[in-house]
Amino acid sequence: MTLSTAPAAPGQPMLRWQSRAKSIDGIAAELGRIWSAISLTAEGPDGDERRVAARSSVMNLVVIAGRGEIGERVAAIVEGLTGRHPSRTLIVNPADPDGPAWLDAQIQAHCVLPSDSAPETCSEMVYLTCGGESGQHLAGVVAPLLIHDLPVTVWWPGEPHFESRSARELLPMADRVLVDGSGWSGDGLAGLVAMAELPARFDLQIADFALLRQARWREAIASTFDRPTLLPYLGHLDRIDVHYAAQDGAPGMANVVRPMYHVAWLASRLGMTVVAPMRPGTEAWTGYAGLLRSGRRRVPVSLKPVESPAPRGTTLIVQLHATRGRSQLWIEVTAYADGVVVQATLDGESMPERRFLAPRKREADLLAETIESAGRDQISRDVLAMAARLVA
Amino acid sequence: MTRAPVAVPQPRTIREERLARDGKRRRPSHHAGANPLREGLRLERVPDPHVAVLFGATGDLSHRKVFPALAQLWRTNLLPADWAMVAVGRRPYDDGTFRMDIAESLHRNCRVQLDEEAERQFLDRVFYHRGDFADNELYDSLTAKLESMHLEHETGSNLLFYLATQPSAFPEIVAQIGRCGLDHERHEGGWRRIVVEKPFGRDLDSAKRLNREMLKVFRESQVYRIDHYLGKETVRNLLVFRFGNGIFEPLWNRRYVDHIQITVAESLGVEDRGAFYEETGAARDVLQNHLLQLLSLVAMEPPATFAADALRDEKLKVLRAIAPPTRQDVARDVVRGQYDKGWVAGVAVKAYRAEAEVDVESETETFVAARFEVDDWRWSGVPFYLRTGKRMAKRASEIAIQFRDVPHRLFEDANTDPQPNLLAIRVQPDEGILLRFGSKVPGLGLDIRPVTMDFTYGTAFSTDAPDAYETLILDAMLGDQSLFTRADEVEAAWSIVTPVHDAWLDQPAPAFPNYAAGSWGPDDADELIQRDGRHWRRL
Repeated sequence: MTLSTAPAAPGQPMLRWQSRAKSIDGIAAELGRIWSAISLTAEGPDGDERRVAARSSVMNLVVIAGRGEIGERVAAIVEGLTGRHPSRTLIVNPADPDGPAWLDAQIQAHCVLPSDSAPETCSEMVYLTCGGESGQHLAGVVAPLLIHDLPVTVWWPGEPHFESRSARELLPMADRVLVDGSGWSGDGLAGLVAMAELPARFDLQIADFALLRQARWREAIASTFDRPTLLPYLGHLDRIDVHYAAQDGAPGMANVVRPMYHVAWLASRLGMTVVAPMRPGTEAWTGYAGLLRSGRRRVPVSLKPVESPAPRGTTLIVQLHATRGRSQLWIEVTAYADGVVVQATLDGESMPERRFLAPRKREADLLAETIESAGRDQISRDVLAMAARLVA
Repeated sequence: MTRAPVAVPQPRTIREERLARDGKRRRPSHHAGANPLREGLRLERVPDPHVAVLFGATGDLSHRKVFPALAQLWRTNLLPADWAMVAVGRRPYDDGTFRMDIAESLHRNCRVQLDEEAERQFLDRVFYHRGDFADNELYDSLTAKLESMHLEHETGSNLLFYLATQPSAFPEIVAQIGRCGLDHERHEGGWRRIVVEKPFGRDLDSAKRLNREMLKVFRESQVYRIDHYLGKETVRNLLVFRFGNGIFEPLWNRRYVDHIQITVAESLGVEDRGAFYEETGAARDVLQNHLLQLLSLVAMEPPATFAADALRDEKLKVLRAIAPPTRQDVARDVVRGQYDKGWVAGVAVKAYRAEAEVDVESETETFVAARFEVDDWRWSGVPFYLRTGKRMAKRASEIAIQFRDVPHRLFEDANTDPQPNLLAIRVQPDEGILLRFGSKVPGLGLDIRPVTMDFTYGTAFSTDAPDAYETLILDAMLGDQSLFTRADEVEAAWSIVTPVHDAWLDQPAPAFPNYAAGSWGPDDADELIQRDGRHWRRL
């Protein structure tokens, strides 16, 4: 066990305590020791003694790392969020599945001083490598280490396998699953279908960073229809096109989860039904096309690849068209360096452009944001269900 | 604070509902009214593009609070990209020198510093406009400037006026805005709103006059009267705590509550605001607004909806249920004080009468404690003890709900009597909620000691809570009046505080100073509560 009593600077997380264990009982015992040392004191900035505060009491975060480098990246992100939410983080890294069963855990307590006058707030991190068969029975490893009565969030960075044994073991104990659909292989759409089934199977919430990243796009599109003159056109949309960045135009080469979410969001909010699911074209640069229905109106939708230096699958433009009687509305939302710009044209007459700032969010921002907005998110659930129907 | 959810289009007839449920027909696409794309976006909502016009831009409040709050909103992308500000003041600045001045303020007062680029972008949107508030020329040139800014920044003619001036300037500015037609809202967007800083009047008559002047030009739905306490995270959480949890509300009444204490204590003195404070005093500065607002939030009935007016209607009912005190009531139930020299946080501080710009024979109160009763079905017979003061032992604001004692002493053999339960809501510092209950001390005997369950924001949510001004300014930009006081609320509060002042005027000069700086106020304040067999909480 290593103990640090160095003074902390406000807002700067620091490693206060670390230890190592080779069994679940050993880990539990080490975790207990942190808090039995409750009289632990640290020297404050003025040489005074400061009590290191108790652990924050908000949630368990279980990270299915899969690979060592993912685990290290995740550990760094979570460490940066010390005191900001996860009370206990378990980073689970199954290894050597064919070898003998073994466990190795690094146990750490990171603390942060919110301000000079406040006590330190700490959270625990267990970096757990499960070798051999112990990596096949993650429920037995994770369940005893969870802080009871606190919600459990499972973060599955990289490519999740929702049909895998890990999923079957861990998801029943989760209240929420975090993924990033924009990082999945191929076009990413197969994962959407599997993911959409999770809420019903396991009674959990899903947060996809890919959907979160588009918040400002949704705000931009929604704001356009806040104008009383344009709101009635919302029920008369007759075309939705989303342009995304691609390098070679071949279907399946760019992850289109983000552009697909735009269509799914609009369709779910506007009560549209899927007539023909989105299907890739057979030739390069044709993208994906499908058909929705809104009342009696058929609404063609497309995802169009555009050659661009932006990362593959990045949304570049969302175009909406509506016809109401003889009147026509054309809306184009375009990405620029720091945000999106909305251009609306009503019957050939341009309306004032509107810009929305939307700097790119880091994974740590998205994680913090997701954790902070705990609770049922019916919109995400609807979007995900619609996305699954769109690609079924 | 959670805003009211946007209505989702629903099937209108039983047949539509049945068909929709069976999946045979889509839900009707009836978009008259609510924007269905808005649902679920409330946390991301960015106000419409607009120009903010800040009167009193060179003043202390603007530098300490308003600009830092705006800069934080800019930093977090909560201001529209097409946002601009006209900063109106008397001092001889131009855009460049004013921006330099604001930059310094931001460095000093921002809770999170902006990066260089974000700061430049923010400052580039601030334009200085010099003039005298009483001069027609200021408003004529401002009108012309705003016209060109609306075109240049494409702000859809939306205007947010912010009066951060001395209250005496409010009527003139409002009248001039009306003269120039800048208050007129337009059919195609083009909203006009005005944010007004407290104090809103200095007694009931002046508040009524001011409301009359304000409402000659603006409609009530355009007026946002700021009481920054209502924007504080803990105060907003009070509503969630009361109405978002099932276990507290059943206890929240005369049957279980013995009394309630609300404290807003400051360790600071009047600083460099001696002249202002001489005319104001603790009753006008804090009791009339912060304390009575906190009281109304604690005592109000659950509103039917979370709409601004539903909330404010309930708060108003509480204020109207407090009888305006008579002369006798004031003599018995209100204590005033003024601080003498003393020691605060280990530093010797001077007496109020020795502060700059303060009369050496000043009779202005720097402390007030009062006992009120809310005469309604829920609270009849439950006293509310309120106190506020400057140069007190520490800075602490708290609402304490003291529950009644258990009806029957079961543990007669216990060495210690159990103390009644207490629920304390700490507004500042160490924002949080504490529940005290009795517990048996481990051992062979039967000792009962009070223990606490303590929720501290810092350990649950270490996220940076927004400053109250950020919350309130953003709400005004979004058109949400929930956290702003309405004209009738202001007048109801004055109808409680004005009789106190009137009674004081009739009394002989008080024996000021009557409490030492660094104490918890005059002895009379202790007697006020001890008379009822209670005591102030030690904070």
